Formats: sequence, structure tokens, C-alpha cells
Amino acid sequence: MEPNRAEQDPQEVAWIQSAQRGDREAFGQLVGRHQQRVFAQVFRLVRRREDVEDLAQEIFVKAFRAVRSYNFRSSFGTWLSRVAVNHCYDFLRRDRTQPVAYSVAPGDRDGGQANDLVESLQSRTEDPERQAVLRDLVGKLLERAPAEDRVILVLKEMEGMSVEEISEILELRPGTVKVRLFRARKRMLEDWRSLRQER
Amino acid sequence: MRCEDAHAMLIDGEGGEQSAALRAHVAMCAACQAYARDMEGLRAGFRALAAQAAPEPSWGFAARLVRRLDELEEKSRGADFLEQVGRRVVYAAGLLTLLLLLALVLPASSPLRGPTASELYWAQADTAVLTNYSILPDETLAGRELNSQAPGVNGAEGKR
Repeated sequence: MEPNRAEQDPQEVAWIQSAQRGDREAFGQLVGRHQQRVFAQVFRLVRRREDVEDLAQEIFVKAFRAVRSYNFRSSFGTWLSRVAVNHCYDFLRRDRTQPVAYSVAPGDRDGGQANDLVESLQSRTEDPERQAVLRDLVGKLLERAPAEDRVILVLKEMEGMSVEEISEILELRPGTVKVRLFRARKRMLEDWRSLRQER
Repeated sequence: MRCEDAHAMLIDGEGGEQSAALRAHVAMCAACQAYARDMEGLRAGFRALAAQAAPEPSWGFAARLVRRLDELEEKSRGADFLEQVGRRVVYAAGLLTLLLLLALVLPASSPLRGPTASELYWAQADTAVLTNYSILPDETLAGRELNSQAPGVNGAEGKR
């Protein structure tokens, strides 16, 4: 990607350059500007409210220590996302309490909910309660997914990033991202279908 | 179109963009209709998750982070100092150990080390014992006694 220092906000460029010289106050300004996005990203990836602030703090500390390596080739936000995603990926791998493989063993209630939800989707119902159940169900499937699948699905399906953006953050080739995305979606769908067939 | 190809296209499909061939196949195939509905269900689930509000940073998060960075910097300086001092102590201890080992291991009369004063003393004491008491032959002792009695006559012979 081409250098885009000129495209960035001059104030942000000045803060980054000061932070690269060790100015912690300037880095604090960058934290203020990007903290909300980092919090949202961490929450989507780890899905545990109680861990979000601690993880975000660790991410910013890590980013400060590595800020000298930032070379303005991508936006600071993208660079920070890379730090955040890698940190959350390590956290998910280290902290995993659920089995790594898919194949859920849901109760009848979950299977019934999945069926009802698919039927409600056909009728395009925007019932908030059903939305909440749907969120809970897909959230559970996501929590059971391997960390690698989870990261790529969150970036694509929830953050709405393009394949190119994901490849930049994960430092993978776009072709590799497409293959991994396809496999992750397929595994999630199989799990979703097995949930429905339980009924 | 085969069902497997249709499934792959449904998984890949972005936001309902489907080719005419896929739409035609799904319209005729009940299994692929169910597959498409499931995929749509999953996507709706992701959308619902994305719409969920994330926790907000607590008040003063950035300021606390800057203070934390200050603390870490101080700790890091202290740790660096201790590390430097500790490293020097380890080097000095290693050097002393090496010298001690060399002193113990090297033989007394090697080219690297001459006999010490104490070794010379004990060597002289050994010679004195041998001379006075034990294993030297009687003739030698008798000769020495003669030499000591008449040094002017036998001194030249002794030197020879």
C-alpha cells in the first residue's frame, strides 16, 4: 500500500510523531481518539464485557511500545486494529475454556429456537425479542468457533471489512483470506444446521 | 447447476447478490432453498451481534493509561539498572570462580606457575629428613662426614 501520511489528519500525524519520540501525553491523545473503536472491536472478538477494558489497556500499552515501528504505510487506525486483533487472537487461544472444535451439543431449546428464528426470518419479523435470541444463538456458535475462524468472521460479518482490509490487518494474502473466510462460514453454517436438525 | 456448487455460491454470496443461474436452481430445489434460508439466518445473527452496543470506555480511561505508561517506564528504568548491576556481579563472580579453578587445577611446577615459598620450604624439609635418617647408602653418609671433617683436602673431589 502507498504511504498515506498526507491523507491523515495533520494533528494525528503530529501526535504519532511525538509518541514515536516517547511522548506519552501525545499518545494519550491518540488513545482518546481511537479508544471507542478499539473497545468495540475487542468486545466483538472476545464477547466478554468484563474483559474488554483490561484487554483494551493491554492493547494500548503494546501499541505505545511498538509505535516506533509504525511507518505511515497504512492508517493509524488500521495499524491499531492489527495490534488489537493479534492481542485478542492470543487471548482467545490462551483463555479458551470451550472445546476448540465445532459440533455443538445444544439442548432441545436451542434447536427449537433456531427453527423458530429461521421461520421468523422468512416472514421478515423485526421482533426485538427474536433478534435478541438470534444474537444469543449466533453468539454461542461464535464462542465455540476456533479463534482463527472467529477473528475472520468478526472482521468480515460484523465489522464489515473488505477482504483487502482483512488481509492488511491479518497480514495475509487476499486469496488466503477468501479461502479461510469460506471455510469459516461453511463450518458455522454446518453447526447452525445441526442445531436446527436437533429438533 | 449441482447443489454443491449452489451451496458454495450461497456461502460466498455477499448481501444477496446471486447470479440468475443460482436463483433459478434455488427456486426449483427444496434442499437448496433450506440451505439459503439457513445462510440468511446466520447472516441475520451476525447483523444482530454487530448491532449490539459495546461497552464504553470508563471516564478518564486515556488519562489512566498515560499514568500506567509512566509507571511502566519507571519500573522499566529500575529493572534496567538492576539488570546492569546484576550482570556485573555475575561477571565478577564468574571471573573469580575461574581464577580459583585455575589455581587449583594447574600443576605446581608447570611452566605457568613456579614453586611457591611454602613448597620450597617443604621440599627442603624432606631433603633434610632423607639426609639424616634413612635411605641414603652408608658409604655416601661416611663420605659426607669425611668431607665435613677435612674440607681443604676433599673439597675438590666433592666438586668433581
